[in-house]
Formats: sequence, structure tokens, C-alpha cells
Amino acid sequence: MPVLPKRKVGLISCSGEELPEGTLSRVTTLQVLERLRPHDTVTLCLPLFLAGDDKERAFARFYPMIAIDGCDKRCAALATEKYSAQPTASIVIPEFLAARGLDAPHSRRQLDAAGERAVDALAQEIARRVDDILGVKHAHVAEEQVAKSEVVTATCSCGSGIPVTRLNIAGKDVEVVALPLIFEQFYGDGKSPDELFTMVKVYNAIPPELEPAYREATQRAFAEYVPAPEKSGG
Amino acid sequence: MDYLETIVDKFVFRVARDCRYNDADIWAKRVNDRVRVGLTDFLQQKSGDVAFVNLPSTGKSLNANDALVALETIKVDLEIAAPISGRIIAVNDALTAHPELVNDDPYGEGWLAELEPSNWADYDALLDAETYLPQMKARAELEREK
Amino acid sequence: MTESKRVMIVPCSGIGKAYGSVGREAMYALLEDLCPDTTDTVCLSLLTLGDAEAQAQVRDQPTITIDGCPSACAKVNVEAAGGKPMAEFRVYDVYRAHRELKVRSVSELGDAGREMARILAEEIAAKVDEVSRQPPVNSQQSTV
Repeated sequence: MPVLPKRKVGLISCSGEELPEGTLSRVTTLQVLERLRPHDTVTLCLPLFLAGDDKERAFARFYPMIAIDGCDKRCAALATEKYSAQPTASIVIPEFLAARGLDAPHSRRQLDAAGERAVDALAQEIARRVDDILGVKHAHVAEEQVAKSEVVTATCSCGSGIPVTRLNIAGKDVEVVALPLIFEQFYGDGKSPDELFTMVKVYNAIPPELEPAYREATQRAFAEYVPAPEKSGG
Repeated sequence: MDYLETIVDKFVFRVARDCRYNDADIWAKRVNDRVRVGLTDFLQQKSGDVAFVNLPSTGKSLNANDALVALETIKVDLEIAAPISGRIIAVNDALTAHPELVNDDPYGEGWLAELEPSNWADYDALLDAETYLPQMKARAELEREK
Repeated sequence: MTESKRVMIVPCSGIGKAYGSVGREAMYALLEDLCPDTTDTVCLSLLTLGDAEAQAQVRDQPTITIDGCPSACAKVNVEAAGGKPMAEFRVYDVYRAHRELKVRSVSELGDAGREMARILAEEIAAKVDEVSRQPPVNSQQSTV
């Protein structure tokens, strides 16, 4: 039986070559991916939204995303929304630094002491938001307590392969993520239609006002998936 | 070419239906009286972009699990073991100039070597695609959790 | 009036792969050390987003891309913005020419990564110099 991917939080960082805060965004994201929450997070290279194919965009809809941006142009947040779906959370680094009274780094090439302090604070904030999204509680782990052997090399998610199905919902063609996987699991487990829709909502961001239409469309799709029972003679 | 596919976490892995497999994630395919071998899609994705391929000499005889081909990727150094016993009849010389073929077309143009089997029973004992797929998937899931 | 155009150096973001970090470091080496007066960069994210000003930069100025993996995000995004790279560099090719340089970490380049970035930056600098030696563009045509 196929297994739905474990729910993780996607982190998408701006590339930010032009600004020190852009480098801060990148370094902090790697910190969370490799050290603070290596088993709860994945990342996607932002430019892959254009250079990849449907799978990269489906990835960003399949996982709840946190966008991390180095400036108020908010490339990560806006591109995620443009190509896929609105991120679950968005952090704009200058706003975060100002709120915490932290100095911005001065160099875009190599983070200075101010940059290192900013990384620590920002990484902890992102980790906290990951925990909130996943509904888990992690004991606070200071970075120095993470042994080197626990560091996980971040890998990007190029080639996500999450299946995408087009459904007609409220008169429009809409892409819904992971339906074949959800259907196969539910068909095998014999769960109720309500539980099916709950699972669909876990993997797809559905506007509240459209929930009834989505529910109907996914249940219709599931009915087509389920083989018709054999008719008894008589 | 016809494939089975599986998704693990965020990756898609393909398994060619017309090949046989071992648990080192090497494929083998009968081509007339020879067996052609190469890396599976799972192994090439896991290993990264291949940069150098050290091919063996033809004519050499080896046993199953003897070192066959050495690969260097941008991430790791790999030693590929022969899935069957036999004599090396051919090697894919194209890989010297184009090692990326191993990643781009692992079941086709990215083949590594061809062997004349000592015993066809070795080949028959390898896993078919349907049997290999769930075992590979389990290894991929374990890899994901590292 | 004549004007010289800076060469835009556009590396991929490569947050998931070590070679993305190498490309980024090579770009900074060019902008800050080797060709500070003749190069500039633009955030790849802005191109992905479709920022008009960023797109104009890669269309109107000579551009060199640096990619860390076969996805070639820098090249694809520049071309999607209407730009045409005058040269495309791949970090992979530096490794093919310098087999001893093994870079295994995205977040820490190490000596091998920094050396790879230096070699790449010098190759690109030669290309930048070639472009910079070309006659500057006349923005006003004089009539006789």
C-alpha cells in the first residue's frame, strides 16, 4: 500500500544575493534544515518553480511552507503564492530584526558577529513556527548541544513527484494534490467520507467558503475511484 | 521503456520492468547472451551527479560481488560490485566523456558494463521489478530518516 | 555619450546542493575581488518572481550564469526573463577539471569549496575582461 509522505514543513528562502539579509536568510534556513529541525523540514530552491516542472509547484502545495525573505520585496512568499499556494507563514528579516532589536549583518558574503546573532535568533523563531505548524513540542536545544554527528545535510526536493489531479470545483478547473495516494490509503482502510475530506484538507489549502464544493468534488472523484460492487442476482 | 514508480517523501524513483535487481540497487538485463548492468534510478539519485567513471578492462573474469566499476559523484565515491559472476565483455566507453549519462538515463545510455555469465542461475536468482520495488522503497525511506 | 555595461553575474540559489554555495562564493569573488568595477549581480529570486527591473537588467546587460546542478536554474530563469546569457558556467565542470577538490557540505565550503570558487571566479573574470575590452555602446548616434 503506498504511504503518504510524512508531514513536514517546507522552508523556502529567497536567494538574496544582493543583500546581507539575503545571505542571512539562506544561512538561517540551512541552520534549521541541518541542525534544529532536520527531520521535520524540507526545502525547495525557489528558482525551481520556474526551472522545474509541475512537481516542484505541487511540492509547495503539499507541504505547509514557511517563506523567509531578506527584504520587503518578499520574493519567496510572493513567488510561492504565484506559482503554488500561499505560504502558511512568512518572515521578512528586516522586520524580524527590528522587532527584536537586532543589528543587521554588514556583509553579504560572510556573516559577521551581528549576522551570527541574527542567525541564532531567527533560526529559533523558524523552528518554533515549524513546531507550531506540526503541533509538536520540542525541548529547546541550543545549537552547541547538537553534536556534529546529528547534523543532517540538507537536500532539496527537486523531483517531488507528488501527484496532482485536476477537478472541476465550483465551475473552475482546480489542481488538488495527492488524491490518488489519499484514495488508495482510504480505500484500503475503509474510512468514512468525512475522514477522507479531513485528509484532503491536510494536504491541500482549501478556502473555507469553498469547502462544500471541494468536499463534493473529492467525494465524486473517490466514488469514481472505488470499484462498483457486484450486483447480486435475484 | 516501461517503468514502475514509487514516491518516497518528495522523490520519485523508477524501476524498469524489463530488468532484474539486487539489494545493492544494481540492475541487470539480459541482452542476447550477455548481461548488461547499471545503477538503478534510486542509486543514481541518492549518489548525486556522476563526475568520473573508472571502467574495468574487458576480458577480466570476476565473481559476484567483486568490484566492477568505481564512480565518483559530486557527493560520494562509489564502488559498484558485479551482480553476477562472469567475464567482462564490454564497457560503456561513452561514460568517460559523458558521465552524466548515468544520471540522465540510468537504465538506457547510462549502462556500465556487459558480462558473459559464468552461470545463468546467478541472473535468474536476481529480483524481478515487482519484488525489488518495495525493498528499494524501504531502503529509500530509511535513507530519508537519517 | 557612451556607456559601458556591467556584466551581470547570476548564480543559482542552490540551497540544497554544495555546488550552489560554490557558485555563490564565486560570484562574490568576482564582484568584490576580481572585477569590482565591471560586474554586478541581481537576485535570482527577483527573476523568478518576474520583477520588471530585474528582468530588464538581464535583458539589457551582458549576463553570465553560474549553475550548480543540471536543473540549471540560473540559465533557465535568465532566459525566462528574456535574457540571453553570453556565457554559462557550471560548477560541475570545475570539479571535472580538478578532481581533487571535493566539496561535501552546502553550509560550509571548506578549503576545497573556496578553491573551487576561486578557480571558477578566475575563469569567469577572463570572460568578463573579454567583454569589457569590447568597444562601449554608443547611446546616441551622431549624424554627419
